Amino acid sequence: MTDNDLTPVEQTDRQHDRRLILIIGFLLSLAALYFVKTFLLSEPVVYNDITQHFKYGSIGSEPVNGIPYWIWKVLPEMFPEKLPGSGYASLGFIYEPGKDLPIGISKRRLTVDRVGLNCAVCHTGTVRESASSPPRIVLGMPANTVQLQNYVRFLTDCAADGRFTADNVVRQIETHIHLNFIDRLIYRQAVWLTREGLLQRKQLLAFMDTRPDWGPGRVDTFNPYKATQFNFPMQDDPTVGTTDLPSIWNQKPRDGMHLHWDGDNTSLAERDKSAALGAGVTPVSIDLRSITRIEDWIRNVLQPPAYPYPVNAALAAKGAVIYKEQCSHCHAFEGTDVGQVTALSEINTDPSRLNSFTYELAANMNTLFAGYPYRFSHFQKTTGYANVPLDGVWLRGPYLHNGSVPSLRDLLDPPESRPKVFYRGCNILDREKGGFVSDMPEENGNKYFRYDTTLPGNGNGGHLYGTRLAPADKEALVEYLKTL
Amino acid sequence: MSSSQTSGGKSKRRFVAGLLVIVGVLAFGVWYKFFRVVTVKYDSVEEEFKYGSIGTESPTGLPYWIWIVLPRMFPDKLPGPGGYVALGASWEAGHELPIGFSKMTIGFERVGMNCAGCHTTSVRTNPNDPPKFYLGGPTSRFRAQDYARFLFACAHDPRFNSDDMMNAIGYSYKLSWIDSLLYRYILIPQTRRALLKSEKVDYYWMPERPDWGPGRTDMNPFQRQVLKLPDDHTIGSTDMMPIWKERTHEGMFHHSDGLNTTLVESVRSAALAAGATKDSINIAGLDRIQAWLLDLPSPKYPYAINAESAARGQHIFEAQCASCHAPGGARLGNVIPVTEVGTDRHRVDHWPQSSADAFNHYAQNYPWAFHHFRSSNGYVTYPLDGLWLRGPYLHNGSVPSLADLLKPVADRPTIFYRGYDLFDQQNVGFVSAGPAAQQEGFRYDTSVPGNGNQGHVYGTDLAPESKRDLLEYLKTL
Repeated sequence: MTDNDLTPVEQTDRQHDRRLILIIGFLLSLAALYFVKTFLLSEPVVYNDITQHFKYGSIGSEPVNGIPYWIWKVLPEMFPEKLPGSGYASLGFIYEPGKDLPIGISKRRLTVDRVGLNCAVCHTGTVRESASSPPRIVLGMPANTVQLQNYVRFLTDCAADGRFTADNVVRQIETHIHLNFIDRLIYRQAVWLTREGLLQRKQLLAFMDTRPDWGPGRVDTFNPYKATQFNFPMQDDPTVGTTDLPSIWNQKPRDGMHLHWDGDNTSLAERDKSAALGAGVTPVSIDLRSITRIEDWIRNVLQPPAYPYPVNAALAAKGAVIYKEQCSHCHAFEGTDVGQVTALSEINTDPSRLNSFTYELAANMNTLFAGYPYRFSHFQKTTGYANVPLDGVWLRGPYLHNGSVPSLRDLLDPPESRPKVFYRGCNILDREKGGFVSDMPEENGNKYFRYDTTLPGNGNGGHLYGTRLAPADKEALVEYLKTL
Repeated sequence: MSSSQTSGGKSKRRFVAGLLVIVGVLAFGVWYKFFRVVTVKYDSVEEEFKYGSIGTESPTGLPYWIWIVLPRMFPDKLPGPGGYVALGASWEAGHELPIGFSKMTIGFERVGMNCAGCHTTSVRTNPNDPPKFYLGGPTSRFRAQDYARFLFACAHDPRFNSDDMMNAIGYSYKLSWIDSLLYRYILIPQTRRALLKSEKVDYYWMPERPDWGPGRTDMNPFQRQVLKLPDDHTIGSTDMMPIWKERTHEGMFHHSDGLNTTLVESVRSAALAAGATKDSINIAGLDRIQAWLLDLPSPKYPYAINAESAARGQHIFEAQCASCHAPGGARLGNVIPVTEVGTDRHRVDHWPQSSADAFNHYAQNYPWAFHHFRSSNGYVTYPLDGLWLRGPYLHNGSVPSLADLLKPVADRPTIFYRGYDLFDQQNVGFVSAGPAAQQEGFRYDTSVPGNGNQGHVYGTDLAPESKRDLLEYLKTL
C-alpha cells in the first residue's frame, strides 16, 4: 500500500517511524565502526623513511606475540630487581636520543597499542672507538650488545611473579597516563591475557635453561622454533644451536647462496620470513608489505660501513695477496666456493649448531606458510657450514658461527692457543686484533658475559686455515681483513 | 479485487523462483565444497608414486588443515619430536607432504595415503646425515599402525574440539569465512566421529595383537576392514616387501606367503587395504604405477665391496642358495612349505582359504574383480634384488642383519631395535642395537607370537671366512 492510501495521521506516523529507523541505523553504524576500529583494525605506526622503518617499523609481530605497550613500559618499573640495571637499556637495547622505544621494538595498535620485535632488534649493533667515546649505531650489523635471551626471561619472569596483577599493573600505568573506565577494563583483561601468553611461552622455552646461556649477540636459532612453531617435546632433544647474530647488509650478491650458518636455505625471501617468525610474527600476522620494504633495502641499498681508522696500506696489500691465495675461494664474492656448504669433516668447527638443525625440523619447515604461495620449500638438512662473504667483517666479531673466537687474530691461531674464556657484549673496537675488546669482565659496574668455550655448543676448534702462517703474514692478513 | 489477485499470483511466482534460485545456489555450493574433484597432473611417475592419489582420500582421508595441526596440538601422542617424521614418515626437502601422503581436492582438500609410504626405504650413512630415500623398497621406518593409533588417540582427547582446533589452524592460515564455518561446524566434529567409529569398526582387532612396529603389517586390514570377516584372532605380522623389478617376478607367487599369483591383484588389493574403497580406488593411477614397477631397478649397494671376497662368496651362493634365490633357480618364486623352511608359521595360519575365497568374490561386479587369491602353506623364495636394504630379514623381520641370518638360531639376537635407518655396513642391515637405535627404534622381541626368528638355517654351519665372503657377495645383489 502506498502512502497515498494512508490517512494523514498514519502518514505522519510512518514518517516518524522512518526517521527513527534512520537514527537507529546511523547509531548502529557508528557503533559498528567503533567496534571494527577498536577490535579488528590493525594500525602500525608508519615510517616513510626506510631507516626509521627498519629501526622502529612493525613487521607484524604484535598481533599474536606482542605485549600491550603500557604493560611493557611499566614492567621495568614494577620489577627493577629482575634487570641487571636500569630499564631495557641494561639488557643491551639501543636507545636513540629522544626516542621512547629502543631500536628493534615496534608499535602497532590493535584495540590497544602493542609492542613487538622487528628485524632491527637482532640486526642493529653499536661500536665505540674507546671507553669514553659515544657509541655509533650501525644498521644491519649484528646486535652485539642485545641480550635477547635475558629479555625473554625478564618478560616471562615478570609474568610468573605474584605481583603481576591487574590491580598493580593498572596502578603503575596510571602514574604515566589517565585511563578512562573502558581503557581500565581493557587493560585489566590485557594483563590477564599477557600473563597467560607469557607463562605459556615460559613453559615452551623452559628447555633453554638446561643449556648454556646465549649471551649478548647470540641466539639459538632453531631450537625455540621447534618448540614454538611445532611443539616438539624438547626433553628428547638435547641439541644446542646457539650462534652469533649475523649481519644483513649487502644481500643482493647473496641471492642463491646457502644461507643461515649451516646453509640450510638458498632463498633470501624464505630466510627473511623464517627470521620474522623468530621475531614473533606468525604466518597470519606477517606484514608482507613492511617486510618487502626492508628486503628491498637490505638487498639493494644497505652496505657495511668502511673501516673508519687508518690502515697500513703496505701491510694490507701484503695481506691481500695472502687472502687471494688462501681465503678468497671460500670467502670472496667472486670465490668459486663462496656460499657453498663446507662439510663438517673438513671445517671441523663446533658441530652443535649443525646437529641442532635436525632432519625432523627440516621436514616440518615445509609446512610453514602452508596454504600460501610462499610456503617454505627451500629448507634442507646440510652436512656442514656455509662459506660466508666477509663484507664488514670488522664489525662481525666474535667469530665462527658460534662466536667462540673473539678476534680475527685469534682465529689465525691454532685452537689450543685461542682464548678458552673471554667476555662478550663490549662494543669497544679492538683495532689491533680485529673484533671487539673481549678481556674486560665489566665496565662501570656493567657485567659483560663470560663466554666459556668448553661448554656444549661453544667449542672454538676448527677453521684451521691460516693458522700456520708466519706471524708477520698473520698481521698482514688481519690488516687486510679490516678493509673488507 | 482483480489487481490484488494478479499481484498475489505474481508474488507467488516470484517466491517460487527465488526459492529455486536459493536451492540452486545451495546445491552448487554443496557440490563445490564437498564433491568437486580437482584432478592433479604429475610431472613424472615417480612423483605420482610418492604423492599421487590411489583413491584413499574420500573414504579415509583427513581434511588438510586438521592433518596439519594434529602433530602440533598433540605432540604428547607421538613417540618423539618431529611430527609425522616421528612416526617414520620420509619427507623430501621442499615438499608439502611426506612421501606416501597425497593431497587431493574433493570439495575440500584432503590428505590420504598411497603406496609409497610403505614402499620407500630410508637409509642414512652417518647419524647426523639427512636420510636418502629409495623408491620401491620396504620402509625401514614408517609405523603405519602407530599412525592410525595417533589419529585415534587425538580423537579421544577432549582438546579435539572446534574451538581449540580452529585456534590452532588460525595460527597458520586464515581460512575464508565459508571454510571457517565448514571446518568448525562440519569437518572437525565429523572427522572426530569418523575416527572414533573407524577405531571401533575397522581397527578393533589391533589391541589384542602384538604391535607391528615400523616396516611391518599383516592381513588384518584385508580381512577385518575390507572383507569384514569375523576375527579369528590369528597373528600374521610381516615385513613390507620391495616392489621393484616386478617384470622379473612374472609367474611367481606374490606376498611373502604367496597368497596371490598376479601382480595386478596384489597392487589393487593393497590399495584397498590402505583405505581405498571399491568405488574410490584409482585404477588408472595404480595401472601407471604398476607399469613403472615392472622395470624399476633395485638400488646398488652404495658402500665399499671387497671384490675378491665377493667373488668367493658368489661360488658359495651358487652352491647353496641359488636353487631357491637366483634367477634360473629351480625353486625361485615358489612357495616353500613352512615345515621345510622352518620359520615362524603364524603368517601361514593367518590367511585361510575362506579369506582367499571371500576376496575372490569381493569385487565381483567390477571389471577388475579378483580371481587369484589363494591360501598357502609356506613362504615364497623371493628374488634377492636390493637385499642390502631389505632388513630386518625373514618374512616377519625377526633377524636384524644378514650376518645374524647366517648364525645358528640360538645365536641370533632375541631382542633388538628396528626402525632406526642408520646402515650397518659390518653386518649388512640397519643398526639395531645401541642407545640411538633404542631411542629411535621399536623394541622387537622375538619371543612375542609371530616374531619368532627360527628357521632358514641355510648357511649357518659355514666356516666364518665363508660367511664373510657370502655376506660380501650378498651386498652386490
